[in-house]
Amino acid sequence: MEYILKNGIVYDPANEVNGEKMDICFKDGKIVEDVSADAEVLDVTDKIVMPAGVDPHAHVAGPKLVVGRLYRPEDERRGVAQKTKVTRAEAGFSIPSCPTTGYRYSRMGYGTVCEAAMPPLEAKHTHEEINTIPNIDINPLPLFGNNWFVMEYARENRIDDLAAFIAAMLRVSKGYGVKIVNPCGSEAWGWGMNVHGYDDKAPYFDVTSREVVRALAKANEQLGLPHSIHIHPNDLGHPGNVPTTIATLDSIKDIAKSTKASAGVRDQTIHCTHAQFHSYTGNSWKDAASGAEEVADFINKNPYVTCDVGQVTFDETTTMTADAPMEYDLFKISGLKWANKDIECETAAGIIPCIYSPKTPVSTLQWAIGLELFLHIKNPWQVCLTTDHPNAGPFIRYPKIISWLMSAEKRMSMIDNGEVHKWASKRTGLAGLEREYDFYEIATISRAAPAKIHGFQDRGALTPGYNADIAVYDINPNDFDPSKDPEGVEKAFSNAYYTIKDGQIVVKDGDIVSTKQSHTIWTNVIGYEEEEKQIIDSIMPFFTQYYSVKWENYQVHDHYVPNPTRVDVEAK
Amino acid sequence: MTYEPPVTDYDHIVENCTCAFCGCNCDDLDFLVKDGHVVAVRHACRLGASKVMEDMDQRLLVPMVRNEEGVLEEVDWDTALDTAAEYIANSIRPVFYGWSETSTECMKEGVELGEYIGAVLDNQATICHGPSLQAMQNAGYPIQTLGEVKNRADVIAYSGSNAMNSHPRHLARYAAFPRGYFRQRGRFDRTVITMDPKFSDTAKMSDKWIGFEQNGDYGFYNALRAVLKGKKLQSESVSGIPAEDIYELAAEMEAAEFGVLFFGLGLTHTLGKQRNIDIAIKLVQDLNTNSKWGLTPMRGHFNVNGFNIFMAYETGWAFGVDFCRGYGRYMMGETNTIDLLVRKEPDCFMVIAADPGAHFPNGANQHLADIPVIQIDIHWGPSTELADVVLPGSFISVECGGTSYRMDGVPIWMKKAIDKPETCRDDEWIVRELKERVMKLREEPNVADEYVPNEGLACLLDK
Amino acid sequence: MHYANTYLERPVVGDLENVAQEGTTKVLKCMLNTGSDIYQGACKKRGSTLKEEYKNASGTCYMDPRDMVKLGVKNWDTVLVKTDYGEVVLNAAKSRDAPHEGTIFVCKGPWANTIVSHETYCCSDPTYKGIHATVEKTDRKVLLMADLMRWVYKKYVDEEDDDVVENMESLGERPVYNGRKWEELIDHDI
Repeated sequence: MEYILKNGIVYDPANEVNGEKMDICFKDGKIVEDVSADAEVLDVTDKIVMPAGVDPHAHVAGPKLVVGRLYRPEDERRGVAQKTKVTRAEAGFSIPSCPTTGYRYSRMGYGTVCEAAMPPLEAKHTHEEINTIPNIDINPLPLFGNNWFVMEYARENRIDDLAAFIAAMLRVSKGYGVKIVNPCGSEAWGWGMNVHGYDDKAPYFDVTSREVVRALAKANEQLGLPHSIHIHPNDLGHPGNVPTTIATLDSIKDIAKSTKASAGVRDQTIHCTHAQFHSYTGNSWKDAASGAEEVADFINKNPYVTCDVGQVTFDETTTMTADAPMEYDLFKISGLKWANKDIECETAAGIIPCIYSPKTPVSTLQWAIGLELFLHIKNPWQVCLTTDHPNAGPFIRYPKIISWLMSAEKRMSMIDNGEVHKWASKRTGLAGLEREYDFYEIATISRAAPAKIHGFQDRGALTPGYNADIAVYDINPNDFDPSKDPEGVEKAFSNAYYTIKDGQIVVKDGDIVSTKQSHTIWTNVIGYEEEEKQIIDSIMPFFTQYYSVKWENYQVHDHYVPNPTRVDVEAK
Repeated sequence: MTYEPPVTDYDHIVENCTCAFCGCNCDDLDFLVKDGHVVAVRHACRLGASKVMEDMDQRLLVPMVRNEEGVLEEVDWDTALDTAAEYIANSIRPVFYGWSETSTECMKEGVELGEYIGAVLDNQATICHGPSLQAMQNAGYPIQTLGEVKNRADVIAYSGSNAMNSHPRHLARYAAFPRGYFRQRGRFDRTVITMDPKFSDTAKMSDKWIGFEQNGDYGFYNALRAVLKGKKLQSESVSGIPAEDIYELAAEMEAAEFGVLFFGLGLTHTLGKQRNIDIAIKLVQDLNTNSKWGLTPMRGHFNVNGFNIFMAYETGWAFGVDFCRGYGRYMMGETNTIDLLVRKEPDCFMVIAADPGAHFPNGANQHLADIPVIQIDIHWGPSTELADVVLPGSFISVECGGTSYRMDGVPIWMKKAIDKPETCRDDEWIVRELKERVMKLREEPNVADEYVPNEGLACLLDK
Repeated sequence: MHYANTYLERPVVGDLENVAQEGTTKVLKCMLNTGSDIYQGACKKRGSTLKEEYKNASGTCYMDPRDMVKLGVKNWDTVLVKTDYGEVVLNAAKSRDAPHEGTIFVCKGPWANTIVSHETYCCSDPTYKGIHATVEKTDRKVLLMADLMRWVYKKYVDEEDDDVVENMESLGERPVYNGRKWEELIDHDI
C-alpha cells in the first residue's frame, strides 16, 4: 500500500528539516523517496508533520506496574472508558492497563517507548505485557546495576567476562541495553540499607557504585551496543544530591565511545535518566533548592552525556522504581501505602502513590527544576522529554509539558498568579528564564534525540528506508503562536491528526481507528558466542544453588517475543 | 499405605518440568515417561505427585451435554461447543469463574470473550486471598521473591498457614531448609515461627508456636504492633497469648536481619478477614524501621496469582472484573462470584480449571442448581455433578505448555512433556472456539458509538 | 504398565487412648474450622473425587479425643454436624493436631460446604472458619461425593424430599453418563 502525506509542514531534526512544506511518501510500512500515481493521498496541508514520538524512558510493562495496578484500584477507576468497535475498554490514570497504554501513546503521536527497568528473573512478565500493548514498539532495558554477578566482575575488574555476561543476559532476557538503578543501593536494601554517595560500598560485595558503573560502561563500549549505559544515579530525590550526580557522570569521562558501527548512531557514553530527581542542593527539604544550573552546566560542557528530565506534572500519580530504599524513604515521609518487591540476586523495587500538588513547596520545586533543566541545557540533542512515567507524572501530560516549554508567558503566569507555590521563584531560577522552545526543538527532544540516544537506525526520522512512523498535528505553525496559546499546543499534541505506525494509520483526528501488534526490540550480540557459553557455564553452579528457578525456565523463549525487531550487533 | 517399589520401567525422563499444583510452582520436577504416559515423577511432594499421577478413571475425555433425563451424554465437539456458546450468547449476566489452573495464554482468550459479551471474570482469589488483595489495597504490599528468602532470611514466620500440608515443599525448597547464600547452614541458620490456633504440622516443625485464639488474629497483631512501638500492654494476655510471650516475640522479630511473614487462609477466612491482613502488613512495615521484613501470601493454585497479574495488566484490576457496561468495574463484595451467586444474579456460569462444587459454600452453590453451568476441566469432580455442558481440557505443564506466575510473581514457562489424550483439546483452543462461536451468535453489546475519554484524566491544575 | 500409585483409601489417624461406648453428651457445641490438609489436597488433585478416598479425606470431622469421649464415638464412626447454614453426616476421627478441645476441623470439600457460611461481609470471601456448630452421634452413613451433590443440590432429581434422595440408589464411585465406558477409551491399570 502506498501513501503520500501532502503539503505538511515537516519537522525532521535528524535530517535538518525545519518547518519546510513538503510531501512525505511511504510504502509497505517504510518511508520512501516517492510513490506512484496510485498512492492514496492524505491531505495534511499546513499541518505539523514529525516522525512518530520516541519515549526514551518510561515504565509501561512489567512486574512493578502490576503491583501498582493490583494495589491501586482507585487509580484504575480514574481512567475508565467504554469499549468501542476498535478499542477495548480503558482503565487507569497513572498506571493504565496495557491496551490503554498503547492507545494513549498512539493518540499523542508516539510510536516507540523504552521500558526502562526489566528484572531478568521476571523478564517473561515484562514481555507478556509488551505483547498486550498495541500500536507502540517497546525496547526493554534489563537491570544490571545490582546484579550479583555484575558486582563480582566489577570488583575484580573482569571487563571481558562482564561483556560476555551482558551479551548473554540480553539474549536470555530479550533485552535492549544496560540499565543501572541506584548501583549497589538496591542490593544494600536487601538488608534494609542504602548506599550514600558514589563511593559507598554494597554490604558484603565490597564494591562501590563507581566501580560498577565504570565496569558496565567499559563493557557496554567493548560490545558496541546501540545504546549507552542508561543510569539512574545514587541518591535519587535527596536534597544535596548534585555532587553524586556529577561525580557519576564525570567518572566515565575517560571511557571512549565504541568505534563499532552498531554504536555509531549515538554520541553519548552515558545517559542519565530523570535528571530532575538528581539536581537538588541543600541538606534537607528545609533548605533544598535547585541544582539544575550546575547539572545543566556540566551537561553543556560534556557532549558524552545525555539526559532525560522526568518532569513533574502536578498529578496524583504512582511512583515506582528499582531504587527500593528511596521508596521506603518516601513511605516514611508520606505514610501512604507502601509496596516493595525484592528480586533475588538481581534487584529490588519499591512503589508508593504520590501526590504532586502545585500548592506544596517540594512538588513545586521539583516542577521548576525540571523546567530549568530543559531551558538550561543548550543542545536539545542532549535532553529528552520524559516524566519518568509514572514517577513524576503520567505520560499523557507530555503535551502539557510541551506547552510549558513553548511559552515563557504561561510559566510566568503560573508563578505570578500563585498557581504554584512560591518556592518556584524563591528557590529556583525558573522565573528568570525566557527561553522558549520552537517546534523544531520539540521535535528534537521528543523523537529525534531519544531515537539517536537509543541508537535506533530505523525510526526517529523521516529518512527513506526508515519505518513509516509518522505523527501529524493539527497546527499551522506559520499561523500560530505557541507562546500565546499553550492550551492550543496541548490540545493538538494530545490528539494527533494522524498517527501512522509502520505505514498503518492507527489514529485519525485523535481517535484510534486501527490497532496493530507492537514489536519487541532486542539486541542480539554476534561474535561472543564462545565467551557467552563459557560465562554461563561458569555461573551455572551458583545459579543452580542460589536462584529459585532452573536455568531452563529462567530464559525468555521465543514464545514471549512473537513479533521481534532484532538489532544485530557485530561485537567482534 | 504399603511399600511400593520405585518405577524402573520407563523410556525417558523429561527434566525441569513445573509442578502444576500450588503457588510454589516447583520447576525442578522430573517426569518418567513410558509409551507416552507419565509413569512416575521425581522431586515432587505428595500433592504434586498425586496431581501428575492422576486418576484416569475420572479423567474427562469426551465432551458431554446434559440430556433431558438429567444424564450427561457424550457428544461431538461441535455439538458441545455450540450448546455452550448458545448458553453464553443468550445470557445477560454471565460469570466466567476459575482460570487459576490454566495458562495465561488461555486467559487471554477468556478475557476477550468476557469483554465481548460483558461477563464477570473472576478467579479463586475470591474464595482464598481476595481479602489479602483488598488488604494490600488498604495498606501496601512489601514482598520479595522466594530466592531472596532462601538466600537471606534468618526469621521465617508462617501465620494462618499450614505449609507442610498445603505447600509441602515450601519449607524445603525456599524457606526453612535450603542453604542460601547468606545462610549456608540452612535450617540451623534460621528461626521458624508458626502463628496458628492449631498445632499444625508446620507448627510441629517450627522453633516456636504462637497458638492464639480462634478469631484472635487481629488482637494479637495489634498487640505485637503496640509492643514494637514501645507501648506497654495493659492486660496479662492478648488473644490467649501471655504478654511476656508477645514482648519476647516482638524482640525476636525486630532482631531479624531479614524476616519474612508468610500468611495463609487462616487469616483471610476468619471473621476479621481483610483487617487481619491489613494489620499484618502494617506490622511488617513497622518492622522495617529497624530491620528488614517482607511478606508473601501463600497462594494456593499454581496460577491463581497469574490470573490476578494477568487481569491487572489486561484490564486494570485483579479479579472480579465486571464488563457488563462495556468497561471494567471492580468492587469487592459486589462484583465477586460468591456475592453474585448469593444474590442469585448470574444466569450462566462458566467454570474453567476450578471446582466450585468442591469449594463454594452451599449458600452460593444453590444458585448453580438453577442456571446453566459450563465446565472446562480435566477431571470429573463435584462441579461436574452440577454441569450442563462438560468440555474436557488438557493438563497444563504435562500435556500442554503455558505460562504461570508463582506466589511471589515470578513467571515460569511450564513446558509440555507428553501428548494429551486424542479426544481432549487444549484449554486455550476451547475458549477460543467458544469466543468465535459466541461472536457469530450475538452482536457485541455495550459498545460506545465513539470514544468518550474519561474526565478523570483532567489535570489537578485544571480544577 | 506400572504406574506410581498415589491412591490411599483413608487418611492415617492416631489411635484413641480412651474409648467410651456411651457418651456423656448428646449434642456437643463446638467451633468449626475448615481448610486443607495433605490427604484432601492429594485426592482432590488426583481427581479421584468420586471415590471412597475423597469421601474419607474430605468427609471427615477431625476432633479432639476428649470430645470424642464425650460423644462416645470411635475413629470412623459417623457424626452429624449442624450449623446455621446446614447439616451433614461425617466420619469422626482423632485429629493429628490435637489437643484442640471444643474445635472441630473438616477439610474443605462438598461436605464442609454444606455447613460453612456464605457470608462475605462485603469482601468477596465466605467465612470458612470459626463457625459455631453442634456435633452429635448418628447412624446415618457418610455419602459419596456424587450422592452428596445430588442430596444437597437436587439439580437433576425431581424429588425434593431429603430422606428419599438420601436413600436413592448410589451413583457409585465411577462417572455416570450415557456413552462408552471409560475403560474402553484409555489404557490404565489402577
